[in-house]
Amino acid sequence: MSKIDPEFASEIKKYGARDFSACFNCGNCTAVCGLTDKSVNYPRMFLRYGMLGLQEEILQSKEIWLCYSCGECSETCPRQAGPGDYMAALRRYAIASYEPTGLTKLIFKSNPAFILFTIFLSVLLGFFLFTLKPDHEVSRWLFTIIPYAVIHNIGLIIFGVTGISVIWGLLTMFLKLSKDTVKKDKSKSNFWKSLKEVMNELATMKRYKTCDKEEDSYWQSKPAAVQPWFVHWSIMWGFIGLLVATVLDFMVKDPATDIWWPSRILGTIAGLFLIYGTTLAVTYHMTRVTKAYDKTRLADWMFLFFLWIAGITGFWLEISVAFQADYLTNHIIFLIHTIISMELVLLFAFSKFAHAVYRPLALFFYFKYNKDKN
Amino acid sequence: MEEKQKKERIGVYICHCGGNISDYVDVSKIKDIVKTEKGVIVSKNVMFACADSNQKEMIRDIQDEKLDGIVVASCSPKLHLHTFRNVAQRAGINQYNYTQVNIREQCSWAHSDTPMEASIKAAGLIRAGINKVVNSEALENIEVSSTRAVVIIGAGISGMRAAIDLAKMGNQVYLIEKKSNLGGHVAKWGELYITQQTGKNIIASLTKEIKKSPNITVFTLANVEKVSGSIGNFIVEVKTGNEILNLKSGAILVTTGFDSYIPKEGEFGYKNYPSVITLPEFRELIENSKETLVYNNHKVNSIAYIYCVGMRQTKGENKYCSRVCCTTAIHNSLLIHEKFKNINTYHLYRDIRTYGKQEILYERSSKNGDIYLKYEEKTPPVVEETNGKLLVKIKDELTKRKDLELETDLVVLVTGMVPRSDSSQISGKLKIPVGNDKFFNEIHPKLRPVETVINGVFIGGSCQGPKNISESVQSSLSAAVKINALTKNPTILLEPIIARINFEACVWCGKCAEVCEYDAIHPLEMRDKVVASVNEAVCKGCGICTPICPIDAIDIAQYSNAEVEGMIDGFMETVVFDNTGGNVSAFETGEGTRMKDMPQIWRRIADSLEIDPKTIPALAKELQLNPELITYHLMTMNKYNIVEADGMDDSDEYYVYKLKNLQHVEN
Repeated sequence: MSKIDPEFASEIKKYGARDFSACFNCGNCTAVCGLTDKSVNYPRMFLRYGMLGLQEEILQSKEIWLCYSCGECSETCPRQAGPGDYMAALRRYAIASYEPTGLTKLIFKSNPAFILFTIFLSVLLGFFLFTLKPDHEVSRWLFTIIPYAVIHNIGLIIFGVTGISVIWGLLTMFLKLSKDTVKKDKSKSNFWKSLKEVMNELATMKRYKTCDKEEDSYWQSKPAAVQPWFVHWSIMWGFIGLLVATVLDFMVKDPATDIWWPSRILGTIAGLFLIYGTTLAVTYHMTRVTKAYDKTRLADWMFLFFLWIAGITGFWLEISVAFQADYLTNHIIFLIHTIISMELVLLFAFSKFAHAVYRPLALFFYFKYNKDKN
Repeated sequence: MEEKQKKERIGVYICHCGGNISDYVDVSKIKDIVKTEKGVIVSKNVMFACADSNQKEMIRDIQDEKLDGIVVASCSPKLHLHTFRNVAQRAGINQYNYTQVNIREQCSWAHSDTPMEASIKAAGLIRAGINKVVNSEALENIEVSSTRAVVIIGAGISGMRAAIDLAKMGNQVYLIEKKSNLGGHVAKWGELYITQQTGKNIIASLTKEIKKSPNITVFTLANVEKVSGSIGNFIVEVKTGNEILNLKSGAILVTTGFDSYIPKEGEFGYKNYPSVITLPEFRELIENSKETLVYNNHKVNSIAYIYCVGMRQTKGENKYCSRVCCTTAIHNSLLIHEKFKNINTYHLYRDIRTYGKQEILYERSSKNGDIYLKYEEKTPPVVEETNGKLLVKIKDELTKRKDLELETDLVVLVTGMVPRSDSSQISGKLKIPVGNDKFFNEIHPKLRPVETVINGVFIGGSCQGPKNISESVQSSLSAAVKINALTKNPTILLEPIIARINFEACVWCGKCAEVCEYDAIHPLEMRDKVVASVNEAVCKGCGICTPICPIDAIDIAQYSNAEVEGMIDGFMETVVFDNTGGNVSAFETGEGTRMKDMPQIWRRIADSLEIDPKTIPALAKELQLNPELITYHLMTMNKYNIVEADGMDDSDEYYVYKLKNLQHVEN
């Protein structure tokens, strides 16, 4: 027996789904969704959960992560209840609920808080960066105000908190999803097979491709290279590629030498993909090309924009390193690049970025516990 | 029964109806067959019998040929009975010596796939019609004098509104109300949907208008004791206080309204918990609350509405939907949100039926964030009380039938309309038939929606069934117009198709009076004996008394034994359709209707089969037609002996058909 919580709807609305109360349960959204099947039934059921305030049902669900926000449901909704935006809001709510600090709750619900916090973090990160070059005159001046050790320790604590938050979030989600009734489904497939399927999905975006399959959909007639699934693929693999390249660079220790190193080549290609993907995505959001891009929240803008800036500035640096252009501008750009990249990493558990770990986990549960999918 | 001799000069007109009939029924052949009937002087085919030119021709024929009876074989009498009765009258013969035979709805339309049978049936029906006319009597309409006064029983909004219009049209109106004040339910209500006027204001303005009208007399605290008389001259005995009045009226309008359903004790916790109230009680509460909504000394912060209480019971008594309750509940819930802030609202419904413009209310309510939960009749919500709070448990159909519970301060049982508890008194006194749902019944819900089977007694408003205010007023105003059409003439003409007693044979056994639904038969003392007599204004000519009479002393005019037996004989006579010669217009080719194409298909099939026998798929391929269509037509052709099966094909899968008899097609 679950208790109805009438206040919950207004809470969800703060995460950016203002109109979902208008839903009258016709189920058109579920019917039109290319990703619903016998065992995963959404978005309608989740609008229901939201209206009734069944928070556990939402937090225990993998469905919200299986949605790629194609917007087909919002397009079809006869009541303009925006089921697509609502699903996105649920993901924000879930990110905020899984992590332990409560910081996400604060910044997702209040845009001023979000902006202030980002700026504060940038400044803080700037301080940290000076600890890398303690002999620099600015650094020396800085350390007379705040001792080196303090800054260093705060940095350690922040990184620690971030790391713990990610693990905590993943663990919370894992435990919640394990509670889900589907778990009792006897027809589960084995671990490795499910993992393989997750990897397959990440590599090919097969499920994302099934979105926008409607004949009259906007993307149907467009080339694959500009379709949302490919944009997402580019961003995702671009970022992963850059991450791997950066790690490799640090392992070879002297990153700034030769652009023909394999790790450098990987970085270049990945960076190009990242810039391509983020540029298209930013354009889509700005021109509101379909209903899916109609309502972009600050959280989405922040994430996309940071990725874009990280990509562009990174490329700039690549070029300036190649031509050994040691100007002040390039130093500032290096500072911006590093701060933005660090913000992305530090806010991992507290931003939209968290979906990068939550979605694969949800997909894993989906493949493991639904034998007869699709 | 003065006129016993049979009609000897009859005119028969068989209508093409522009092809509606003649495309399937072989009208010209029937015309030839009919011509040979005894007594038929004129037998004609006409393109449109109802056309002006034909009416004139009929009048000429009647006068020139001295016809004394007419048969028109065309469409349903519902359409043109009166047209041709008038023709007969204008030509100078009695309108009841005319009979209409329906060969369109009953023959050409009903049997369009078997034109031959349609023709045979039409011929039979026309013969029956001729025999009816042969035995028909000249009858005169019954004239009844009428009083220009109307009694309206029930002064709710329907009755008040009708009273005003009837008075304006020049009728004396007696408005009878059993309560002390006018306006019924509406007088108690606050703001109403669409106009935002309050019920109180509407009733106040209607009351003002009624008081101004010199033609309306209002009787409050009055009861109808007895009703006697019949259309045009009813006498309604009304008791007010100790006074008894006899009101003379030409017609009676019943607008007695409805009762609100009162839940049984324990139904959703009603009477068990004080915070479970019905919709009317809730409306009263809203009306009486000012700043905050307080019930039972507790501030109300949440309300759960349970819909369909006592209504739509598949097993219970009230099987119908009450139409108004969804809208009323949702509208009041919106009013609550406007008037008092921060009230959580739950709607526990079975189906939301906010039809028409009222849907806007539902949309507004759900956009407001009201929570809608759907339950099935089998698993109704359960209301419990714990720690002074009401707990409602529901299996929500919209959430995978999950068991849910909600806490609420107030439960409103959305109850609907039931017939007045004392409605049987009125229906008994006026003999208005009552439906399964115990509401008063009209003659026909679509075609005669405000008339009852009792001449001169009309119904309006929600005594007929659940209606909202607009619908109630619509029906009572339409009754008002119908009534005025009756009372505006000093005399009312009634059809003479009623029961007639053979006084010589009758010995008054009383059996006929016992079965009469309308109380139209009463004993009458004649010189030396008692016989049955029929009140002409009351009798509906239903005929139930005729077979009951042990000595066959009752006849229904227009349906006398001679007429009915003649019709049966005429219909049973064999019709011989010889297919040689003549113009078989039933199989005429032409363009237009689908059925007209049929003979062409037959011809094409026949042409193809003449060359060599074929299977259905082969035929379909050759003619480039749908095999199902070919099958359909082949079966019909087979029935008419045009084609026959000639064994199986080589694959043993399909029958091979060959041509048997080309006659029909050639014709």
